[in-house]
Amino acid sequence: MQPLRSPYNPVHIPLGLVLWSIWFVVIYGGLSVGCSLLPPPPAQGQWTWLNASLGMLSVLTVVALLGLARLFQRAARRDRATQSERFVARLAAGVNLIGAIATVFVALPTLSLPPCL
Amino acid sequence: MSEPNNQRVADPEQLHDQFNDVWGNPSGWKSLTIVNHTTVGIRFMLTGLGFFLFGGLLAMLVRTQLAIPGYEFLEPDVYNQVFTMHGTVMMFLFAVPMMEGLAVYLIPKMLGARDLVFPRLSALGYWCYLFGGLILCASLLLGIAPKAGWFMYTPLSSAVHTPGPNSDFWLIGITFVEISAVSAGVELVVSILRTRAEGMALNKMPIYAWYILVMAMMIVVGFPPLILGSILLELERAVGLPFFEVARGGDPILWQHLFWLFGHPEVYIIFLPAAGIVSTLLPVFCQRPLVGYRWVVLSILTTGFISFGLWVHHMFTVGIPQLAQAFFSAASMLVAIPTGVQVFAWIATLWVGKPRYHVPMLWLVGFLVIFVCGGLTGVMLALVPFDWQVHDTHFVVAHMHYVLVGGMFFPLLAGIYYWLPHFSGRMPSLRLGKWGFWLVFIGFNLTFLIMHWTGLMGMPRRIYTYQSGLGWDLPNLISSVGSFIMAIGIATVLLDIVLHFRFGQKAPNNPWDADTLEWSTHLPPSAYNFVSLPPVRTRHPMWECPDLGERIDKGEFALTVIDHGRRETWGVEPLTGKVREIIHLPGNSWLPFAASVFIAIMCLGLLTKFYWVALAACIVAVAVLLRWSWENGAHPLAAPDARVQPGEPPLHSRTCDGPGLWGMGVTLLANGALYLSLLFGWFYLWTVSPNWLVPDDPVIDQRLLLASAVLLSVAVFWQRPVLRHLRQGQGEPATLIACFAGVALLGVLHAALLLWALLSGDLAPRSTAHDAVITVMLAYSLVHGALASILSALQALRVHYGYVCKRTPYEPLVVEQLWQYNLAVLWITYCSVVLFPPTFGGA
Repeated sequence: MQPLRSPYNPVHIPLGLVLWSIWFVVIYGGLSVGCSLLPPPPAQGQWTWLNASLGMLSVLTVVALLGLARLFQRAARRDRATQSERFVARLAAGVNLIGAIATVFVALPTLSLPPCL
Repeated sequence: MSEPNNQRVADPEQLHDQFNDVWGNPSGWKSLTIVNHTTVGIRFMLTGLGFFLFGGLLAMLVRTQLAIPGYEFLEPDVYNQVFTMHGTVMMFLFAVPMMEGLAVYLIPKMLGARDLVFPRLSALGYWCYLFGGLILCASLLLGIAPKAGWFMYTPLSSAVHTPGPNSDFWLIGITFVEISAVSAGVELVVSILRTRAEGMALNKMPIYAWYILVMAMMIVVGFPPLILGSILLELERAVGLPFFEVARGGDPILWQHLFWLFGHPEVYIIFLPAAGIVSTLLPVFCQRPLVGYRWVVLSILTTGFISFGLWVHHMFTVGIPQLAQAFFSAASMLVAIPTGVQVFAWIATLWVGKPRYHVPMLWLVGFLVIFVCGGLTGVMLALVPFDWQVHDTHFVVAHMHYVLVGGMFFPLLAGIYYWLPHFSGRMPSLRLGKWGFWLVFIGFNLTFLIMHWTGLMGMPRRIYTYQSGLGWDLPNLISSVGSFIMAIGIATVLLDIVLHFRFGQKAPNNPWDADTLEWSTHLPPSAYNFVSLPPVRTRHPMWECPDLGERIDKGEFALTVIDHGRRETWGVEPLTGKVREIIHLPGNSWLPFAASVFIAIMCLGLLTKFYWVALAACIVAVAVLLRWSWENGAHPLAAPDARVQPGEPPLHSRTCDGPGLWGMGVTLLANGALYLSLLFGWFYLWTVSPNWLVPDDPVIDQRLLLASAVLLSVAVFWQRPVLRHLRQGQGEPATLIACFAGVALLGVLHAALLLWALLSGDLAPRSTAHDAVITVMLAYSLVHGALASILSALQALRVHYGYVCKRTPYEPLVVEQLWQYNLAVLWITYCSVVLFPPTFGGA
């Protein structure tokens, strides 16, 4: 079994979507808690501290996921990797990339909708 | 593709006789002891068929009642029971168990293994499913069936509005059945990762195994929220803990969250294995590999994850902020993309192949048409304004049936026709099969295509009748006629299948010229699948080595010696498929049957409010399960002769990484999902519940909770160095006994302190949801602490008997995971209950 830190360990295959899931729960939970504790005035529209916070978190998540995708893609290109190791690394790279795309797509409404209406 | 790694070719007949002595199934009453995956898988499917016919009959009653306006064929109360039971039976007793049954049957055969990795768990799962299903269905015959709809929304399902035992049947029966689903999920995950053929790396796995791996993981994570929700609602109904009652600080919307956290992934839990059938069959009937294997794997994974981010789209009308709705709307649209990738992979496979149109292909093409339509209406429903318009109308019912019948039932029938030679050794007929397909296809579309319009014209779901003149008369009549045509089609299919057992042509070896390993077995297969285990280094072993079945049969490959009396299969490294150990599997046993009988008695005791009976049955069931755990590892009944052939790897019970370790890990994942759902409930109610009551003073003695957590920490850290030495092949029995007994004692003290905290505080769980949630959290840790203590005490005893020692270090490592889990849970509970409230204005 490959060590946990190895990019060829199969446990990394779902990593990108695990991160996406955590991000998703955090933005939904964060939105609910934010609206409960300190709801921004509706007149502010989408330009509120809550939208900004959720947007920043989303940007950080996308950057992390893209970085991971790049890391696994490079691992997949190494000459000494076996066929099955390449498969794992390519799959993990793809999953991270999909996680990044999914984050951008789901986070887009923070740019256009007020948070607590 | 594969070289023999064992040149001793024995007399095949003699070899099969020897294998039958060890693997053979008993008959008569003793057949209740069978744990073999082939038999258990077939039992799952036959039972699923029985429940399907029952659920189908209920559908016919519904359609008869709605055929004409003002009809009084069914009383309103009976109608409510019938539609609730139709949905419940089809979702919980047919769709999921049927797909699991097929996977239980196929996975070892496709992976080149002799059985699943925990055969007794499969048997337990089956009996829980059967008894739970029978209890649930019996309620309808008694006229006290659930009647609040298959998603049991509170407050309609609560004691105030449904005071009889109706909802209890659902909550207890379904939770019982879910033991089956989760146990099969754990079983399938570990089997796929650890018991493949030698050399079958992850990238060489049959595509069906990927689908089942993701489905099983989704069950493991997705079912616990509903199990928790059912426990909480039953606690509310039975003893008045107000989790969902607004007046006492609860919130009915919490039920909706818990239900749909399970309910939406459930759709994909049903769809993914069906899509796995499609991805397996299409290449066979096109005689070329699936186009885009890696893309399909990627899309399966993506579907599995994103499907957990959609649950709120069932709740768009309950008053959630627009931005939150937009998140879920976006995720709901997003999930269509990986599904689309699979559809394009299938079309491409059809495009580049040379399709042969036998009966299974008809069902596959029918699936493509219907499922794509259902997927498109799904995207329509993901749009919030449209969803608001058609929410709770027949449009949603039609969409759901397009997705579930198109996405599950059609591929399932394709698969059943395809694997029919496996069950009977005979081929299906073309003529009757085609009639069956076209009748179902026409009947289905007549019923549900029309139902889209009925819904768009505003007809709500779940009404027992309607007035004439609303424009609903004709479409309802057409839908009802269509449903009867569909029923005739299903009867035709069943007739075809029954007749084929008598009149079907004898199936040749590998009759469809398929590529996967299950076609290298006998038709029907023997209890051990393969007399010798071949190495596999390709995705298409039967295409690359057409005589593989004969070579396996001659005993050309590995693990052909069986005079030790053990049931064996390979344990492999998950990534590469390199052989690591020999997994020895338990044989037939009364224990799974006995355990499920006592669990059934416990459920009946709870339903009839004979709580002492329930408690006694629970204690006996736990005792049976502990006896089961006793006959494991190095116990003589588990491995009568521990010697292996020269050059072979050790038995798994003599290593530090057997399948039990993985099984415990995956089980704790399910357990963790349940606990996280409870934690979600705590924070959700704290944030959202309109009447959430936080007392001014702490309701539990926080020092007791802290002391309990400290004791648990000491227990965990005490055993850590001892187990590290054990892993390194060190550790004297006296040291081990002292450690495990001491840890067990600490565990008992930790549990006792929790009990003290529960009993001595000012907790009023019937008065406020706040106290009710704390009570459940502490009880959860109490039960887990007691269980871990018992298991460690048993480990001390096993060291004494010589079943655990430095040569057999495996079991304490399995138990250690539970201790670590308990530790993490208790500290999280401490932080949530003691440290969090003061920061948010509570005590």
